[in-house]
Amino acid sequence: MPIVTTLKADFYSSVQNMIHENEVYGVKRKTPSFAFDKLCATQELCLDYDITVLPPNQYLLPPTDPLITFNLSPEVSIRSKVESRATIILGIHAYDLHAIKLLDAVFTGNLVDVNYQARRSATAIIGVDCLNPWLYSFAASMGTALPPSIFDLWLTDLGGEYLIEVGSSRGQDLSKRYLKTKSARKVQIRQRDKFRQDSLNRYQLSLDRSAQEIPEILDKAWKNPLWEELGEKCFSCGSCTMVCPTCVCFDVRDKITLNLKRGERYRLGDSCMFDAFDKVASGENFRPTGTDRLRHRLYRKGKYMLERWGELGCVGCGRCVHACLVDIASPVYAYNRLVKEATQWPSA
Amino acid sequence: MRPKVGVFDFTCCQGCELQILNCEEEMPDLIAALDIVAFREAMTERGNYYDIAFIDGACSRESEIVSLKEIRKRAKIVIPIGACACLGGVNCLKNAYPMDEVLKAEYGEAASYYDTIPARPISAVIPVDFFMPGCPIVKEEFIRVVQELLAGRDPYQPNDPVCAECKAGGNVCVFDKGMTCLGPVTRGGCKATCVTGGAVCWGCRGLIDEPNIHAEKEILESAGLSMEDITKRFNLFNVCQEGVWK
Ligand code: SF4
Ligand code: SF4
Ligand code: SF4
Ligand code: SF4
Ligand code: SF4
Repeated sequence: MPIVTTLKADFYSSVQNMIHENEVYGVKRKTPSFAFDKLCATQELCLDYDITVLPPNQYLLPPTDPLITFNLSPEVSIRSKVESRATIILGIHAYDLHAIKLLDAVFTGNLVDVNYQARRSATAIIGVDCLNPWLYSFAASMGTALPPSIFDLWLTDLGGEYLIEVGSSRGQDLSKRYLKTKSARKVQIRQRDKFRQDSLNRYQLSLDRSAQEIPEILDKAWKNPLWEELGEKCFSCGSCTMVCPTCVCFDVRDKITLNLKRGERYRLGDSCMFDAFDKVASGENFRPTGTDRLRHRLYRKGKYMLERWGELGCVGCGRCVHACLVDIASPVYAYNRLVKEATQWPSA
Repeated sequence: MRPKVGVFDFTCCQGCELQILNCEEEMPDLIAALDIVAFREAMTERGNYYDIAFIDGACSRESEIVSLKEIRKRAKIVIPIGACACLGGVNCLKNAYPMDEVLKAEYGEAASYYDTIPARPISAVIPVDFFMPGCPIVKEEFIRVVQELLAGRDPYQPNDPVCAECKAGGNVCVFDKGMTCLGPVTRGGCKATCVTGGAVCWGCRGLIDEPNIHAEKEILESAGLSMEDITKRFNLFNVCQEGVWK
């Protein structure tokens, strides 16, 4: 696929046209942070950002997502409800795209989730390299600081222009329709590679071991007192999961009209950190304490998802590190502590 | 048969009843589904037996104890609505003072015409079947609870802290803006409406079932609040939640 360049000024006028003809969700300022939101004007777009409050998952898995509608009277009938619209996500960082790769495995792997799939295939992804990483991010050591090859277009800021890698035929079409491009020169591609390399060295947080070793570290950590130490501070508030790009859990509920004739079944985000998450019909709770739930979450991120879906459940975005008000949610902190203490606390 | 419903007011601002009347869009369906037989804020007629009694306000007079016991006898399901009814709410702030002083402060010369007792939540006086918290209650929650009762279900009680909906809604946490918040220990279900609107959570929906009070104190302290400030903050709505916050 081709690699091209476009002048920044040209790119921003292209975005205006794109907004005109499409539903475009891009990164805007949300003081003191940034957030994905619907773009109305090209000036709103901030491509030089460090992190967004929420990942762009909301456009693939909306916070409340209708699944079926039903009639109860006069006759019972059920219809599935699949909503999707052609959408462009503009400005995604590599770690968030790695997370979407994991969502793809979860929702379009063995079992296909039609609601997710419909939205996913209607969504074009235009990403951008994160050259000035966020203070709390550790994507470089998770191997997620550079994009996986599932983008349509990928931008790198070279100063006066963007280098744009085309990743798909949809990207090719977008480029043809909206962008004013020249093919990239070798020196520009080398410049991108250098900028990327430099950015990797700018991460403040990192794992002490390679990401591939996390499952092994966890294998020996079930009884480590670290879980208790962190867990007793936990609010069970779910903040760490609500901001996480790889969290996929949902609850399913019904909404029925007051005349009890019609209704809708919808899903909404759930969290393994909630007290009620592991409560079963008999009233038992198989992860009754904050400690149990915190340990579960960090095993899920570092081991279970990898085993089940082939991708680590943490992309190192750092959102949970910052979101947790009692500073206990950080995967990188926990895994590094476990490495340090592995010699003291042998296997379970 | 439409269930007979009574809506009653005790010590409160009646804002929660107003929230029911604010369900304008759903009002025709509500009236079609419910037989509202008592609702002083909205109508003059009055029936004496109720399938569901919604109770607004705290209990702060001997006479209210008698009325509440009477309502309990005549109602199949009793649901306190709002912070006053569920928690005692702001009314309980007076409990820190002697009752005669409280009466004088409020009524001056006329104090001797009135009587009062320490304020308390409805559940401290009669058994209740469900709680619908909030100051005021959330309209959508009222409609949902009515739907669930009509469908013969136990209403769903949210027990996740306000933070969950706050974060899911994409808010920047107020702790990042130099403010403080009771969201981590407060029962969600309000879509973190105060934070979304630019303020902080004051805890009007009461505490979740297992609040981590110790951790909340720690984060408020490290945000610069004194122990006195923290207690005041917490007491605003939750002073009657005795034993939990001391
Ligand atoms: S676990 Fe934390 S750091 Fe890892 S992807 Fe989720 S939010 Fe980001
Ligand atoms: S780890 Fe932190 S953010 Fe996550 S549920 Fe516990 S207190 Fe909340
Ligand atoms: S809970 Fe708030 S709105 Fe409702 S009656 Fe009490 S003071 Fe008024
Ligand atoms: S603003 Fe309050 S409710 Fe929202 S996340 Fe922060 S502490 Fe929780
Ligand atoms: S944010 Fe807090 S104070 Fe505001 S409505 Fe919700 S529970 Fe009440």
